[in-house]
Amino acid sequence: MSEVFEPRIVAFVCNWCTYLGADLAGTTRLEYPANVRIVRLPCSGRIDFNLLIKAFEIGADAVLVSGCHPGDCHYNTGNYHARRRWMLFRPLLEVLGFDMRRLHFAWISAAESRKFQQTVKQVVEETRQLGPYQYPAPPTDSYGAGREPHKNHFDAAAAQQRAREMLEAKEVDVVIGYGSSGPVFIRRPEDVDQITCEETGLNLAAYLGRKEVRAMGRAAILTKPMDAGALVVLERESQIESGAVKTIPIGEPGKGDFSDLDALLALPPAERMAWWAGEFARCTRCYACRQVCPMCYCERCIADKNRPVVIDTSPTPVGNFAWHVTRAFHLAGRCVGCGACNHACPVGIDLRLLNMAVHRAVAEQFDFNVGADPKAESPIGCWAPADHEEFIR
Amino acid sequence: MARIGVFLCWCGENIARTVDVARVAELSAQIPGVRCALDYKYMCSDPGQSLLREKIVSERLDRVVVASCSPHMHLKTFRKAAERAGINPYLVEMANIREHCSWVHPDREQATLKAAELVRMSVEKVRHNEPLRPIKVPVTRRALVIGAGVAGIQAALDIADGGYEVVLVEREPSIGGKMAGLSETFPTLDCSQCILTPRMVEVGQHPRIKLYTFSEVEAVDGFIGNFTITIRNKARYVDIAKCTGCGECWNVCPLKKNPSEFDYGMGFRRAIYVPFPQAVPARPVIDNKVCAKLVRNGCGLCEKKCPTGAISFKDEDRLIEEKVGAIVVATGYKLYSIGKEQPSDKLHGYGEYGYGKYKDVIDSLQFERLLSASGPTSGEVRRPSDGAVPKNIVFVACVGSRDNAKGLSYCSKICCMYTAKHAMLYKHKVHDGQAHVFYMDIRSGGKGYDEFVRRAIEQDGARYYRSRVSKITQENGKLMVRGADTLSGLPVTVEADLVVLAAAMRPADGVQELARKLNVGYDEFGFLMESHPKLRPVETNTGGVFICGACHSPKDIPESVAQASAAASKVQLTFASEELTREPEIAGVNERMCAACFRCMGACPYHAIERAEIHARNGDLIKRTARVNPGLCMGCGTCVAVCPSKSMDIAGFTEQEIYSMVEALA
Repeated sequence: MSEVFEPRIVAFVCNWCTYLGADLAGTTRLEYPANVRIVRLPCSGRIDFNLLIKAFEIGADAVLVSGCHPGDCHYNTGNYHARRRWMLFRPLLEVLGFDMRRLHFAWISAAESRKFQQTVKQVVEETRQLGPYQYPAPPTDSYGAGREPHKNHFDAAAAQQRAREMLEAKEVDVVIGYGSSGPVFIRRPEDVDQITCEETGLNLAAYLGRKEVRAMGRAAILTKPMDAGALVVLERESQIESGAVKTIPIGEPGKGDFSDLDALLALPPAERMAWWAGEFARCTRCYACRQVCPMCYCERCIADKNRPVVIDTSPTPVGNFAWHVTRAFHLAGRCVGCGACNHACPVGIDLRLLNMAVHRAVAEQFDFNVGADPKAESPIGCWAPADHEEFIR
Repeated sequence: MARIGVFLCWCGENIARTVDVARVAELSAQIPGVRCALDYKYMCSDPGQSLLREKIVSERLDRVVVASCSPHMHLKTFRKAAERAGINPYLVEMANIREHCSWVHPDREQATLKAAELVRMSVEKVRHNEPLRPIKVPVTRRALVIGAGVAGIQAALDIADGGYEVVLVEREPSIGGKMAGLSETFPTLDCSQCILTPRMVEVGQHPRIKLYTFSEVEAVDGFIGNFTITIRNKARYVDIAKCTGCGECWNVCPLKKNPSEFDYGMGFRRAIYVPFPQAVPARPVIDNKVCAKLVRNGCGLCEKKCPTGAISFKDEDRLIEEKVGAIVVATGYKLYSIGKEQPSDKLHGYGEYGYGKYKDVIDSLQFERLLSASGPTSGEVRRPSDGAVPKNIVFVACVGSRDNAKGLSYCSKICCMYTAKHAMLYKHKVHDGQAHVFYMDIRSGGKGYDEFVRRAIEQDGARYYRSRVSKITQENGKLMVRGADTLSGLPVTVEADLVVLAAAMRPADGVQELARKLNVGYDEFGFLMESHPKLRPVETNTGGVFICGACHSPKDIPESVAQASAAASKVQLTFASEELTREPEIAGVNERMCAACFRCMGACPYHAIERAEIHARNGDLIKRTARVNPGLCMGCGTCVAVCPSKSMDIAGFTEQEIYSMVEALA
């Protein structure tokens, strides 16, 4: 007789409902499999996606997330915020091909001891059928080719002319443009010819937050069609004042679509996961994707923290997976689709696919246009009673 | 290196039966940093706690893990015990090896291994715990009482007499609530108004009570000791400061036939009116739904007549802010609506009783007005249809209450008593009349209560039928009340002139909305939830918010008053010192790392996060940052989850502590 596989289940539960529901299961002696380990947190609102990733890293075969029913939250609305985040997090995991049958959500109240028992039983049984969770090993023949780096040409003369006018009229103190290698900071009208006719995919808004750039005074930046939305997000997040940054639009708007994403989603999940494992295996964690992103302006990135190590800092397979999940999810409701990360990636990982997955979830579920109105509330950090929850038990 | 002590509890047999406690101790002792791991039969007992304290001293422990029951059960116990031995209480953690292990996993091997892992998780957490100190917050020693019926009045007077200011908010134009409209009260038959109106006057004149009538609580912000209340003072069209209550205005008002709310539609009032003669404040209000001036810019006689110029048709609702430290909710009750129309599809009415169809089928509060000397009939029992004195009167108990089919399973508690009172008072007023009472059970627990019911039956001759009424119909000017007497087994039909239905008590309208503003729970019927049914009966789960009276459950006057005084004493306890102590497990910002994106602000359920600026000595802005108001934060941690750089963290549940627990499972 072959040995039965005993899955490891990590449950993140809130202190006030599910933890007490589990307590009541004990008091009423409702037996359930011993495979579950409960981590008590104040509220389901505290349960961060990084914790779930970490649980899988340390060997969990499934994770259960549970808190108070809508309307019952000890902190009024923590569970609504949690629900909103899971609504956006799940589409990201889906595009990564993560096996969603390993991630369970449930509302379990302090009185629902039986529901707690039944949920644990079901999760253990289902996971037993699935077998152990393993991050796919990177391919041994080749990590994949990646996409070609690209460069665009545009009419520099018009941009130079506009930059000269702005500087001469003292509308701005500095114009940030594309130079022969990287950005150029033009402060005198006679220097505008340093703006070249080749852009490298950078979103120049990424430089606005830098101290030395701020010190230059009022800025104008050259913006490709998708870039200017970043200014809206930066204003929404109090990083720049309204109208403080002028733009000099360049290039023709392309047409964005989700065809690449749909093609990827057409693959079976396991194949998607394996494909990404190959892609991520190329990642050297140079963090170019982070450095060029106008939205990655944290003083210290979570990836650089080591107390605790939320994301493995070395380019290990699981560390790379955690990093790319984190990067993409931190852009939820914030990515404007400029594609700077893609252009910057020296190993050609198609990072946009991840951004697009979250972006589409934001647009479809909340009808939210990231780069439109700086006063509009970001879809993360708010909630609605009608938020769907068919994925929650 | 930490010096951690692990203490394993047998809980008698409760844990030791399935968990090999000695083996868990052995395994725990091998964890780096654990200086000692020992087991004891009852850790929470006195000797158990002494053992803990002794070991802390002898092994020079600086952190403790107790593996026993749920932290909800004994975390405070062990934290206190450790504190007595000189350890900061927040350096104590528990591993729940009873509720989450021994009681649910019968397999000894599995349970033992799981217990060992739970201990390891707690050891890894406690290793990173930091000493915390309770937070002190100042208290605004001023109370808000919502609702000025008998419970609210009692609470307000108790608190005000205790020396603290009270803000009393009442929705109606006058205080007094339901009791002001009652006739005489059981079991002593003293006149309701005679007891209540002096208390009402006292409220009106009390130097420490600030009264807002015709007002409602619009918004509640803040937390125990520091609430900010927004009160909506509805447009009254009469300036009560200028008005002397002389009556010139309502005497000239031509719109006389408006059903009086105070008389439950049994009498009439004008468009400008004082709800009842003893109202506090004794100032009129204009009904803006009927007043000719307000509805179609006609009339305006009252304004012309008013000698003090107190009437203004331009009056508007005003929002007023008040700061208080504690809140008493005393919003009272309303009667179950008897007819077919119901406010929710969970409830069902009694169409078969003809309430609303037959004029002489009335509810118990309407009958109170018929009995009251201040009522529309000046206390004579005359039926609404033709003013005749009813010679046969039927009282039906349990209308709505104790009836699952109608959606209310609970006992309304006071109906047995007031129905006996009604039968008695009727007999006192109509000597040749006969009272018939249809009841399910007679519930008359209380001092002098059962004797009172016996008197109604034995002295005043009320006929009691243990019977549900199946139908009430009108035949030849008589109301035919049909039922079956379950004691005699015979069908009963009574030809009645008047029928009084003892409708169930339900929470007052709008109490759920108020409860949500206050973050107080309510049950399926809408009654507010106490914190503990026995030990904390007037507290709620929100600190600083107390409940009393019928908003909590059906209650009679003595009980409501007792609860009101209890709530008032809890308020005074809250005000006993100038500072309150709060749990320190709240959020804090690493201001050096905060990138000032303020995503946390949107996520905070308590609006506890504010924008702050850090300036250099010369005043230059160095940076912006989020900052947590420790008085408002409740420690849910939603902000931490949305903070991309984790510059936000919760004391007692830090990132480091949580990740250490998860990693302990590797």
